[in-house]
Amino acid sequence: MKKKNRFVVLKNGNHWLAVSGAMLAVAAVGVSKAQAHGFEGDYFFPPTIATDDPFATDELLLPSVSYLKSDGVTTTDTGFEFDKEIFPKFALGISGDYLYQKPDGQPSVSGWSDFAMSAKYQLWENAPHQAIFSVGAIWQIGGSGSKEVGASSANVFTPTIYYGKAFGDLPDTLSYARPFAITGTLGEDLPTSFEPNNLQWGFALEYSLPYLQTEVKDIGLPQPFSRMFPLVEFSFTSPENRDGGPTTGTINPGVLYESTYFQIGAEAIIPANRESGSHVGAVVQLEIFIDDILPKIFGHPLFFGK
Amino acid sequence: MKNIPFKRLGLVAVLFLALQSHAWAHAFLDHADPKVGSIVTGSPAVVKAWFTQELEPAFSSLQVTDAQGREVDKKDMHLDDKDKKLMIVSLPPLTAGTYTVNWQAVSVDTHRTQGHFEFTVK
Repeated sequence: MKKKNRFVVLKNGNHWLAVSGAMLAVAAVGVSKAQAHGFEGDYFFPPTIATDDPFATDELLLPSVSYLKSDGVTTTDTGFEFDKEIFPKFALGISGDYLYQKPDGQPSVSGWSDFAMSAKYQLWENAPHQAIFSVGAIWQIGGSGSKEVGASSANVFTPTIYYGKAFGDLPDTLSYARPFAITGTLGEDLPTSFEPNNLQWGFALEYSLPYLQTEVKDIGLPQPFSRMFPLVEFSFTSPENRDGGPTTGTINPGVLYESTYFQIGAEAIIPANRESGSHVGAVVQLEIFIDDILPKIFGHPLFFGK
Repeated sequence: MKNIPFKRLGLVAVLFLALQSHAWAHAFLDHADPKVGSIVTGSPAVVKAWFTQELEPAFSSLQVTDAQGREVDKKDMHLDDKDKKLMIVSLPPLTAGTYTVNWQAVSVDTHRTQGHFEFTVK
């Protein structure tokens, strides 16, 4: 699940450590909503890492591991996410991150950050044009995580819109651009405390080599390349009030590999500006296609399913 | 670092790997003959489409249409006797032009996928 930037304070023995919100947000990008199989028309939208995608389907992300150093603190974030389609096109989810934080010259701290629950509904779809629009909300459960790692006691609700568009409907003169797709999100943090309201926004631009090979032109790509999606993701938090500071975020270039029963992805985490940090990190994510592994249990709604 | 999360992750990984031997999956197009987006000299006798999973023939389809959208294949789609991942449909002699292959694949676990590609006869 997409996490948000916030300024947190860590306690380590008798020492209080200030950790920038950008570091935590960047460390948390390893956990993102991703889905087992999101199709619009002929186009398969793969689960993305740093940004959420617009599909409400069964999925299991386990694990996502990110590594980043910022402001003298090295953070390893190990996360998970599970989503289940409850009614057709409506899914609920839960996610969490276990943080291990090692400040320079000081003992480490570790613990769970606040857990989050989500709801999402696929509001509109156009399969011939490979487009989708969804709405949803995320509830970051205040007090559910460990104060040792700066988990907040405040609840944060984030209503969010999601969109996706692939370009398989481009004319023949632009056929090599048909494997491109873009997905994105736009959400508004509504905390129950005096923390800033934040605009959470981002998008992913991807190129489907499987789509190129099987829908546009077989250029003879061997495996594993024929199953890869090069992509770049942009993920930002823009505080709107209460001296929340400037916009922070990351730019994540990487690649996704689709196997039969899982997807593995890897991205670099590049701070977008000085306020977002000064070190490049990395994230690796394993998405398990539970609808393929256990088709009798997953891959269809819990109620009113096929 | 506390290793509790990683122990649990290890158990999940073992379970995941164990389940793979009994799992099914979506059937994606792997490759075709004529090749996707190819230009062929002479009219092919059949279109072959290889998929990543075994298919349910009753619910899968393979059609070839011309530039005007008219179906031109012989409507005899079938799976290869020895390879249930291979769909075949026969063609009459085709005139020069661009043809579209439309496919729907239902794997043995009932997952459905679809797609299309073109080839050109010169």
